[in-house]
This record gives sequence, structure tokens and C-alpha cells, in this order.
Amino acid sequence: MTELLATPILWLAATLLLFELADRISRRSNRHPLCHPVLLATPVLIGLLLLSGTPYPVYHEATAMLTFLLGPAVVGLAVPIWRLRGLIRRMAVPVALALTAGAVTAITSAVGILILFGAPREILASMAPRATTTPVAMAMAEQLGGIPALAAVIVLFAGIVGAMTATPLLNRMGIADYRARGFAVGVSAHGVGAARAFQVDATAGAFASLGMALNAIATSALLSVFALLR
Amino acid sequence: MIDAIALLFVCQLLGEALHRLTGLPLPGPVIGLLLLLGWLALVRRERPGLEAVTGWLTAHLAILFVPAAVGVMEEGQILSRHGLALVLATVVSTILTMMVTVLVFRWALKRSGADMPQ
Repeated sequence: MTELLATPILWLAATLLLFELADRISRRSNRHPLCHPVLLATPVLIGLLLLSGTPYPVYHEATAMLTFLLGPAVVGLAVPIWRLRGLIRRMAVPVALALTAGAVTAITSAVGILILFGAPREILASMAPRATTTPVAMAMAEQLGGIPALAAVIVLFAGIVGAMTATPLLNRMGIADYRARGFAVGVSAHGVGAARAFQVDATAGAFASLGMALNAIATSALLSVFALLR
Repeated sequence: MIDAIALLFVCQLLGEALHRLTGLPLPGPVIGLLLLLGWLALVRRERPGLEAVTGWLTAHLAILFVPAAVGVMEEGQILSRHGLALVLATVVSTILTMMVTVLVFRWALKRSGADMPQ
């Protein structure tokens, strides 16, 4: 029985099963951001690990094949960018300006607030890539001397906040253009925001995907320049 | 299908290699993304296999970072000490970024004259 605990299959099965369950709840809630499957499944898995006295590194190793796929998933972001190249060319100026402004705002505002609170460097480094999609944020956090796990949770939280506030916020601002709305949600709240944008409007969804994919590049480029200058 | 997976792996591999060789702070997979983008621009053809593989990965991205998210169980001290600052920074930054991005996008759209009826 104890050997079973040492094979990857137990924790892989548990992770997939719990995620599937969480995903069904999420679907039933009509994909409400607060019912995001990762948000539902993660605490249960942590509970199981604590109850069974399994240290995190054991779980991490068992589920390594899931984590491994994050790399190819990032590389694959080239495909939607390439597919949307017509859109990028047609709107090169607004896309470039809004992307730069958004990426700079995301980094400086988040890191600035943490500095005001006197947070240490590793936390700043985990927060800096918060507007990128999770795998990029994790890689970038590690690169900057932060904590990938913390970056993953921050990014998820940012996505949920963005998905929940986008519609009321942008309505109140009187922005009717779904291209601008979608792009802003994608730049600020990556995949979780883009999923929400697709629910509202197909154009908003396409622009949100574009914002997400481009900000993965813009934010990592900005942070790399910063890392090089330092 | 296999050729698409191989293409993704090779791009990431070259990305990781460039990252190590040049000391470029961009993560290997992000360099791989740029390499793949260059490849798609260079060799232009339909790639249904690649679309299928990357579409599948993107659609199931959420489960891929569950193991990482579970890792916060080791960061209890940080969360309890800096939780308030982390929440505040994330909420303010997310909302502010949306506002700035949407305003700049709308302004530039009007200025650039790209705002033609579709």
C-alpha cells in the first residue's frame, strides 16, 4: 500500500479527478470566475496532502508531467498571434500603444504598492509578471528570483478580479467598443479574463486572446530589460 | 500531429539553449514562442496539426498549473505576513491596467484613423 503512495499515478489520478469535478461545478455555475476549477481543486488537493502527510515535493514530482507541458503551451501562443496577424497589422498603432501602456501600468502599479508595504525582493519578483499568462509568469518569476508557486496564485487571483470587474467597470467608463474592451481585459487579466470576454462577445474574445498573447511577450521583454539593466 | 509536437519541442529546446548560451533573461519557452512565430512567417502553409495541438494545450492550460498552485501550501508564512499587500497590489493593478489599456486603445484608434467600419 505504501508503495502505491510513492508512484506518480496516485497524485496524477487525484489531480485529474478533482479537476474534472471542479470543472463540472464551474460549468454548472456558467463559468463564474469564483468557481474557476483551479480555485476549487487546489485547496482540496492541499487538504489531501496535509491529511496524508505527503510533503509537497513528493506531489510536485508525481505531477511533473503536467507542469512539463506548460513550456510547450507557452511556445504554442505563437499560433493565435500568427492567426490574428491581420488584426495586428490593421490596428498596429492602437495595439502597440495600448499594449505598452498596459504592460508598464501592470508592472509598476503592482510592484509599487508592494514596495510601499515594504515587501521583500522575492515577493516583488513574484508579482512583477502578474499580468502574463500563468506559465510565463511562473518562468519569469523564477528568472527574477521570485517564487513560481506564488506567481501562479497571484496570476489566478488577478484573472478572477479582472473577469469579475471588467463588465461593470467598462460599462461605467462608457466604453462601448468591444475591440478596446476585449484587448484591455486580455492585457490585464490574461486567460481567465479572455474566457470571460468570449462569454460576452466574440469580438471581445478575439481581442482578449490577442491582448493576452502579446502581453506574454511585452511583459517578459520589459522585465528582461529591467533584469539586464540592474 | 507528431510533427507539430516535435516543432513545439524543438522551438522550446532552441529557446532554452539560446537562454543559456546568451544569458538572455527571457525564459526559454518565451524565446521558443518568438522562434515559432518566425518559423510560421518563414514557412507559410496550412498547419491543421499545429492548430489542433496548441488549441488543445491552451484549452487545458488551467489543469497544467494546478501542481504549481498547490505549491502555495509551502508559502503560508509569506501569505500570512504579506497577504494584505499582495491582495491590494493585485486588485489595484488589475483594475488600473484595464482602465489604462482601454483608454489608450480607444484614443489611439481614433487618432490613427484605423477606426474604419469593418
